[in-house]
Amino acid sequence: MVRLEKVAPLTPEFLERLGFHWHTDSDGTSYVADEIVVVSEAEAEAYYEAANTLYDMYVEAGEYVVEKNLFHDIGIPFNLVDAVKKSWENDVHWHIYGRFDLAGGIGGAPIKLLEFNADTPTALFETAIVQWALLKANGMDEAAQFNHVYEAIRDNFRRLIVLDGNPEDFGRYYEGWKILFSAIRGSIEDENTTRLLQKIADDAGFHTDFAFADEVEFSDEEGIFFNGERFEYWFKLIPWETIAIEESDLARILTNIMENRKAIILNPAYTLMFQSKGMMKILWDLFPNHPLLLETSFEPLERKQVQKPFFGREGGGVRILDARGRELVRGEEAYGEQPSIYQAYEPLPADEEGRRYQAGLFFAYEGCGLGYRRGGEILGNMSKFVGHRID
Amino acid sequence: MKHYIKKISTYAMAGSMGALAMVAMSGCERKPAGESDAFTRASQKQGAFVVIDEVAPGRYRIAEEYPADTTRVILRKLDGTEKILSKEELDALVKEEAAKIDAGESPLTNPQLSGGGLSLGEAILASAAGAIIGSWIGSKLFNNPNYQRTRQRSYKSPSAYRRSVDSFSKAKRSPTSSTRRSTRSGFFGGGSRSGSRSTFGGFGG
Repeated sequence: MVRLEKVAPLTPEFLERLGFHWHTDSDGTSYVADEIVVVSEAEAEAYYEAANTLYDMYVEAGEYVVEKNLFHDIGIPFNLVDAVKKSWENDVHWHIYGRFDLAGGIGGAPIKLLEFNADTPTALFETAIVQWALLKANGMDEAAQFNHVYEAIRDNFRRLIVLDGNPEDFGRYYEGWKILFSAIRGSIEDENTTRLLQKIADDAGFHTDFAFADEVEFSDEEGIFFNGERFEYWFKLIPWETIAIEESDLARILTNIMENRKAIILNPAYTLMFQSKGMMKILWDLFPNHPLLLETSFEPLERKQVQKPFFGREGGGVRILDARGRELVRGEEAYGEQPSIYQAYEPLPADEEGRRYQAGLFFAYEGCGLGYRRGGEILGNMSKFVGHRID
Repeated sequence: MKHYIKKISTYAMAGSMGALAMVAMSGCERKPAGESDAFTRASQKQGAFVVIDEVAPGRYRIAEEYPADTTRVILRKLDGTEKILSKEELDALVKEEAAKIDAGESPLTNPQLSGGGLSLGEAILASAAGAIIGSWIGSKLFNNPNYQRTRQRSYKSPSAYRRSVDSFSKAKRSPTSSTRRSTRSGFFGGGSRSGSRSTFGGFGG
């Protein structure tokens, strides 16, 4: 049973001052719960260890996909294969941050990987800032939270320069390279999540700027420009597969820019491999019966299972099936004719009212922060964010 | 084994955003007209956000320092309470310190008086906030080698100083290419997305 504690909510005015405008869902209810999950120290440690173990496994699986040329098998669009390979070859294409979605971890249930949002994870604001402010505003010990997301991402930005060296040495090696941050115009959540990342990079010591995707200029030969300035790094909160499908010219230009070493694009293209749910089948092949994994196949399983499209998001296109493949529950929207994986069904921990909790665990060089989503059996766009504290 | 709870100063946990949250929470800020949130202001960095720790009774160290739109100083006292210093308090402390500098009685400029840590006024002047609030006494300070040395020593840890230097001295910029080029832009300019919540990247099922 999930343990909860009541807290006084943060006011919409306060949240908006921070730039967190998406505090209210379309049905008028608050997106951030006025309760927090109470986690034991041992549970927090276990989450941390799980994130680090899982990331190492993803790196091994990534190597396997590249070596065996399995890009098609896990649904990587053909026009991004070169970009994925190129980014995989060199550490300067540093993975800034990702988020593991996990079942279990509280109330005695074992931690199980549901998926890895490695390319464009959101819920960053909620995890790094909002739940921290929730503890602080309620007079609780704000250090009693598994949350050093901000600091971990800041240090990871510095690793773009020092790589495996000490992030503290950033100032010694930094020569003024600039990062341009971009989101697609029209979604305040995407925009301000991107601006939050910009602020973190700013705190790290980088020169930064922000431009909507449509304002950025791209040149195969010369790189990435905004307002007449060239940028050595471009961070885009735009899924790689969206670029591949909706703006295939951009996919080609970005590949050439990488080839010509004119800019580094973040998160790197190889995070699309991690993002593909097809990777969880590869993981199961490489690490069969690993305690952090759920059985996953490209074919229907003979047990209660969840069918997920390779690049589905927000629970879209997800179906829960019984052992004979009959649909029990269906997610909000379909994702066309994408190939799917079939993953063994794992119930999410529930509270007294039967509401389910899925852990979102941020990773930036190491496991760095925990937050929860609460909803029904399939978590969609109406699920709530629930913060936590460590008992 | 690495441990998940980092014993770091609490503001570093959320960096300059944490500092901002703290000020917003205290309710003692005046919201300048026309501004809406943390990010609209982020472009105007003329101030500094400084966190000063009391390390022994009456002795202080600079814990954290970030560029900010306006200058604010938070004092963390030995008993764990926090206080945002008002503009009046800051001005009074800086004025007092200026008088000491004029009289040659400030450890900031007089090496013979150094040692035993800094008073609150000295710590403020040694911080980036001091450089801004006390700009009118700047000439007395900035060319003084002892002030520069004291400033380095006033930080809680070498990394706090390093961080401060990193965030404030982004002077080096890479050379900007202005050669003629043919570029393409306007990708994702269709404007088909709308609504406040993310269209992707959320928690999956």
